[in-house]
Amino acid sequence: MRWLGYAFGGALVALGFAGLLMDSDPPGWALWFGGVLIAHDAVLVPAVLLAGVLVARAGAALRAWLIVAGLVTLATLPTVLALGRRADNPSILPHDYALNLLIVLAGTGLVAAVIRLAGRLAYRRSPERSRERSQ
Amino acid sequence: MMFIQTLSARFTSRLRSEQVSARLGMWLGISFTLAFATGLFSHFTQHPPAWLLWPSRPVNLYRVTQGLHVIGGIATVPLLLAKLWAVYPKLWQWPPLRSAGHAAERLFVLLLVAGALFQLVTGLMNIAYDYAWPFGFIQAHYWTAFIVYGALVVHIVNEWAKLRRHLWTRVQDPDRRRFLYTIAAACGVAALVTAGETVAPLGRLAVLAPRNPRIGSQGVPVNRSALAAGIAGIIGDPGYRLVVTGAVRTPLSLTYADLVRLPQHTVSLPISCVEGWSVECEWTGIRLRDLIAQAGGSPEAFLTVESLEQSGYYRGSEIRPPHWNDPLTLLALKINGRTLDADHGYPVRLIAPNRPGVMQTKWVTKVRVS
Repeated sequence: MRWLGYAFGGALVALGFAGLLMDSDPPGWALWFGGVLIAHDAVLVPAVLLAGVLVARAGAALRAWLIVAGLVTLATLPTVLALGRRADNPSILPHDYALNLLIVLAGTGLVAAVIRLAGRLAYRRSPERSRERSQ
Repeated sequence: MMFIQTLSARFTSRLRSEQVSARLGMWLGISFTLAFATGLFSHFTQHPPAWLLWPSRPVNLYRVTQGLHVIGGIATVPLLLAKLWAVYPKLWQWPPLRSAGHAAERLFVLLLVAGALFQLVTGLMNIAYDYAWPFGFIQAHYWTAFIVYGALVVHIVNEWAKLRRHLWTRVQDPDRRRFLYTIAAACGVAALVTAGETVAPLGRLAVLAPRNPRIGSQGVPVNRSALAAGIAGIIGDPGYRLVVTGAVRTPLSLTYADLVRLPQHTVSLPISCVEGWSVECEWTGIRLRDLIAQAGGSPEAFLTVESLEQSGYYRGSEIRPPHWNDPLTLLALKINGRTLDADHGYPVRLIAPNRPGVMQTKWVTKVRVS
């Protein structure tokens, strides 16, 4: 079963490389294939680790919001940068994406703040807190 | 040297654990399987082998599969980045290669990681019309998918025991649970602010989508404008003819006035772009099968429609029998009750169910029957 999986997976990988060699631009492809890996492993993750150290003392809600904000920004970044706009076709990338991103980040921040407040209120009324106070 | 040897032990976040990685990995496995399946469907819809006759129904099939491919891809970005963060210390494990088997395992992980990043980066940039690369997107994205999925299969085989151990057990640590919910929230928000470019009820929320289904010429987005197609100058030429030629009893040559006089039908069909956006419109025009019947073509014939466009990858497209015999398939003259704008394919464009937008050929001037 294990070797069946290896054979199937290996065959798909080989097919992919064969297709790229025959049908694509191998040096250009390799540059991007390696480039995204290096950009991730040597730039993005170290930056995230550094940011993690900087906000280590922040509250859980703030850190959660930073994670959501960062990930949503990255997931929509090419649209937000809107480098693909073309003069002949205003239906491509029609919005003010920088403004919209700010609105989305503010909205998720508001949700995080509300969750934080609700958590604090629930904690104040919770039996655990009364127990802690009575000790 | 000492620093590198002990580096992997210096990552101290408690959020990392085998269980967290396994959970994220399971969702990624599902998401990449969906992307691979919908991607292959899209590819073989556009490049079918000679024996393959796709059905023309369900009408919205391509719209749904391609929406899943693109919006699912966007929502996968947080998952992938979270997973790679969770396993990042393993990148610095020491010794880097313990044996030939270990080296092979890590090679496939490298292909998986680089390939997954490559697919998401090129996919995201492509839907934003940002073609900064030297290669053709279609070929690179298509073939890299095989590398990623093959490496994923190998990776799942290697990690199966860990996956099984953690699949059905609750994540006990509340911080880790909160971390997973946070990632899920990021995936959800990314989908929510983009899905409206194809899911009409979410339209107003699609503030970070590259398209708005209500913005464009005549209130409908356009992929290739008449100007970009290089035919803005010949639109409205009185010498225009729609020609039906090839394996027919009576070749036809029709002026625009002739087309307007033929029986008109109105259908509701979506334009479903490979880039993930879609919008339903009301189209009015001539049934393609009526036209072929008038010319005396065989119902089993393969058709090719050709555009006024002189060059370009999509200046023509093939229509196989299930599609052109479908009564919903029109050579349309009107969109939402109005004569087509130049950007929507005036004088005549093809519109058929369950078919990608790039194959809904605009500015049609010739139908070849074979």
